[in-house]
Amino acid sequence: MTSPPKEFMRRIKPFSFLTEDELNLLVDNLDVEAYEKGSTIVKKGKQSKYIFLVFSGVVGLYDDDTLVDTASKGEIFGILSAITGNPFSLSAIAMDDTICYRIKKEAFNKVFEKNPKFSAFFSTFINRRFRSFTNLLKETEGAFQEEIYLTRVKEIVTKDPVVCEPNTSIEEAARIMLEKNVGSIVVVDQGKAVGILTDHDLKRVLISGDKNAKVTEFMNSPVITVNADQPVFEAYLTLINKGINYIVVVDNGRVEGVITSKDILTQFEPSSSLIALYRKIRKANSMDELKSHLAGIRKAVAGLAMKGVHFYELSRMITSVYDSTVVRVIKMVEEDFKKDGITLPDYVWIHVGSSGRKEQIIATDQDNCLIRSADEDEKLMIEFAKKVNEALDYIGIPKCTANYMASNPKWNLSLEDWKANFEKWFTSLTGENIRYLSVFLDMRPIYGDQKLYLALLDHIKSNITNQAIRFLALDATSIEPPIGFFGIKGLEKGLDIKLHGIYPIANGVRVLALDNKILDTTNTRERLERLSEMGVLSDERAREVLESYEFLQELRLKRQSAAVSAGSEGDNVIRLENIDRIDAYVLKEALKIVSSFQNFIRGKYRIESGF
Amino acid sequence: MNLREAKFSVIDLETTGLNLLKDEILSIAIVPMKGTKIMAGESYYTFVKPSNYDLKSMKFHGIDPKTLKQAPSFSEISEEVRERIEDSIIVGHAVEIDLNFLKKAFKAQGIELNNKSIDIALLEKWLCDRLGERKCTADLSLDALIRDYNLSMRFRHDALADAFLTAQIFQIQLLKLMKYGLTSVERVLSAIESTKMSRIDFIF
Repeated sequence: MTSPPKEFMRRIKPFSFLTEDELNLLVDNLDVEAYEKGSTIVKKGKQSKYIFLVFSGVVGLYDDDTLVDTASKGEIFGILSAITGNPFSLSAIAMDDTICYRIKKEAFNKVFEKNPKFSAFFSTFINRRFRSFTNLLKETEGAFQEEIYLTRVKEIVTKDPVVCEPNTSIEEAARIMLEKNVGSIVVVDQGKAVGILTDHDLKRVLISGDKNAKVTEFMNSPVITVNADQPVFEAYLTLINKGINYIVVVDNGRVEGVITSKDILTQFEPSSSLIALYRKIRKANSMDELKSHLAGIRKAVAGLAMKGVHFYELSRMITSVYDSTVVRVIKMVEEDFKKDGITLPDYVWIHVGSSGRKEQIIATDQDNCLIRSADEDEKLMIEFAKKVNEALDYIGIPKCTANYMASNPKWNLSLEDWKANFEKWFTSLTGENIRYLSVFLDMRPIYGDQKLYLALLDHIKSNITNQAIRFLALDATSIEPPIGFFGIKGLEKGLDIKLHGIYPIANGVRVLALDNKILDTTNTRERLERLSEMGVLSDERAREVLESYEFLQELRLKRQSAAVSAGSEGDNVIRLENIDRIDAYVLKEALKIVSSFQNFIRGKYRIESGF
Repeated sequence: MNLREAKFSVIDLETTGLNLLKDEILSIAIVPMKGTKIMAGESYYTFVKPSNYDLKSMKFHGIDPKTLKQAPSFSEISEEVRERIEDSIIVGHAVEIDLNFLKKAFKAQGIELNNKSIDIALLEKWLCDRLGERKCTADLSLDALIRDYNLSMRFRHDALADAFLTAQIFQIQLLKLMKYGLTSVERVLSAIESTKMSRIDFIF
C-alpha cells in the first residue's frame, strides 16, 4: 500500500535503499510534527526519541549561540545521537515554520543494523568517506556488467543498415561498403535478409573470385540474425558460439542493422575503448591518424565518467593516452627535421599545470615548456616547438590560451635560464611570479633528456625561500569556498567548483609539497600520500582532503561528460538545478573540508600575522 | 480546550456515489492527530464490503472488486472505528459529506455519532478571508490545496493518501491559527461556523 510519507522517503537517499518491509517499519513508527519559527526541536545535551527528516522549512543546528549547520527539505539530523545513544551535541531550532518527519530511534536502529547499504550511507557521512559513498551508489544503480543483460540489441545499433540486392555485383557491394565505411553488407531479397557479405569474404574474392560475380556467390547464407528486442548478452553468445564477427539485427523480419562483437565490447567494457585507442595511437603513422583516434577519446572518457569510473583511475588512463600521443607527435616532428638533415640538441619536453599533475580530464589543452642544454639552440628549438604545438593543435589538443607553451620564447629556455627564472620567482614575489610558480612547480618530463629536468629540480630545491612558501600559502587560501549559514552560497546562480574547490586543494597541497621538497611528485593524490607518510598531514586530514578533491573532480567530470554527450563544451560551473540532492549534500561537506584545510594552511604559515 | 491538546481524526472515505440515500461506503481512512502532531504510524485504512451494491459495476473506483468481496462489512469494523474516533474532532476535506455517510452507517448499528468536525476547505476560506486574500471557489478543492501547500505527490491518491495529505494541510493551518492567537478549539469551531453562514457551495 502506498502512503505519502513512504513515497516521500522512498525518493530520498538513503531511504531509497530500503526494502518495502523496512520502509513499512519506519512508516509504522513515524509521526509528523510542525514547529513554529523560533521553537526548539531538541536541546543540546538532551536525548531525543527520534531521528528527524526535514519535510519543509529550515532547521538550524546550534552549538550554544553559534550556528553550525542547517538542514532543509530532505535532510536528516539526529542520526549520530540515535546510533551512539549519546545526547544531541547541537541544539536544533526551527529557523522558519518547519515540518519534520520523526522516526522512532528504535525502529531506525533496527533498520540501520539490518540493512548494510543503509548504514554504510550514514557511516560515509560520519567518517567523511565520500568515495565509499559513490561506490555505494554505483552498486545500487547497477554496474555496467548488469547492463549487458538489461540492454536490448536495438539500443546499440547506431547506424542504418547497409544493404544490397542479390543481383548486385561484388565490385558494387565493395564500393558501397567502402563508401559507408562498414565491414559488412546485408543482402536483402524482398525485404528479407538472405545473406551477409563481409570484409573476410572480399579477401576470398580477391584470391579466387571474380569481382563481377554476384554477391550471392560469396555471401554467407543463411544469415544469422538476432531479434532487436533480445538482450545484448544473447547476441554476444551467438557471436561467440557460431564463431562469427557480424550478426544481423532484425525486427519483424526487417533488417535493422548489423552489430559486431566489438560494438558490444566497447559498450560494456569500461576501459576497452580507451585501451584500444591507446594501442592505435602508439601505432599511428600520420598526424591524420592521430587526429582521428584522438577524436574518439573525448567520447570514450565521457562514457566512462557516466558509468562511474573514478576520477583518479580515469585521469591516469587519459594521461597515458595523451602522453603517448604527445610523444608520437614529437617523434614525427623530429623525423621531419632529420629528413632535412638537422640534428636536434639535447632537450626535455615538459608538461605543466593539470597535465603536469596527471589530472587532466576532458576539456584539456596544451600546457608545456621545454628545457634545452645550451643558449645557441634557441632559434632552432623554438621552431621545433612551434611545429609540435601546431601539430598538437591540429590533432585536437588545443593551444593554451595563456600561452604556456614551448613555442613561447619565455618558456623555451636553456637549463641555466630556467634556473635563473626560479631564483627570480622565489625572491621577487610579485603576483605574476607567484602565478608562474604555481604553474611551473607542477613540472613533469614527457620526452627527452631527463638529466636536464633533474638538474633543474635540484636547483629549485636549494633555492626555495620561506617567504615564497608563505606567499604561495596566502595565494592558496585567498579564494575561499562560499559556504555560509544556509549551506552553499549562490548555488542557484552557479558555483565554479574549479575555482572554489579544486584550486584551493591543489594549490594548498603544492605549498606543503614545496615546503617538504617533494618536487618530483606532482599528482595531488600522490603528494597527499607522501605528506601523510612524512607526518606533515595527519592520516585523517590527508584522507579527508583527498576524498573531497576526488569528489569535486568527479562532479566536474560528470558535468563535462554530460556536456560532451550533448555535443557542447563543458564548463566548471555547478548549479543547484543540475545536481541531485545528495551531490549537493556531499558538495557542502567537501567544501567544509576545503575550508578547514585552508585554515590549517593559514595557521601553519602564519598568514594572519601579515607579510 | 487548547489546540495543542486536542485530539483530531482526519478522515477520508470512498463511497459508491454521493447519494446519501442509496450509496455506500467502500473504504475508510483515519489518520489521528494530537495537536499539531500527525501520528502517521497509527493510521488506519480498511475496505468495506457494501451490502447491496452490484460489485461488477464499480470498475471506475480503481478498487479491485475481489478486494471488496473479501473486505469486512461495516458492522464488523464499526466498533474499531468508533474507538478510534471517540472523543476526537473529525477533520476532513468537505467533511460534511463523509461525516453524514459515517453517521448513517453507525445509525444502522444503533450508534449515534456526535463528534464535532472541522472542514479544512472552510478553514482555508476563513484563513484566506483573514489574510485578505479571498479565494475563488475552485481554489478550495483538495488538489488545489495540496498544490498550494507544496505537498504534491506523484502517485494516484487513495483514501489513506488523501487523509494524510489532508492532515498535512490541517497541520499547517493549525500553525497559522496559533500565529493569529487562536489557540482554543472552541474559537476555531465558531470561526468556521461563521464561515458556513456565508458559504456558497464551493465543493463541486
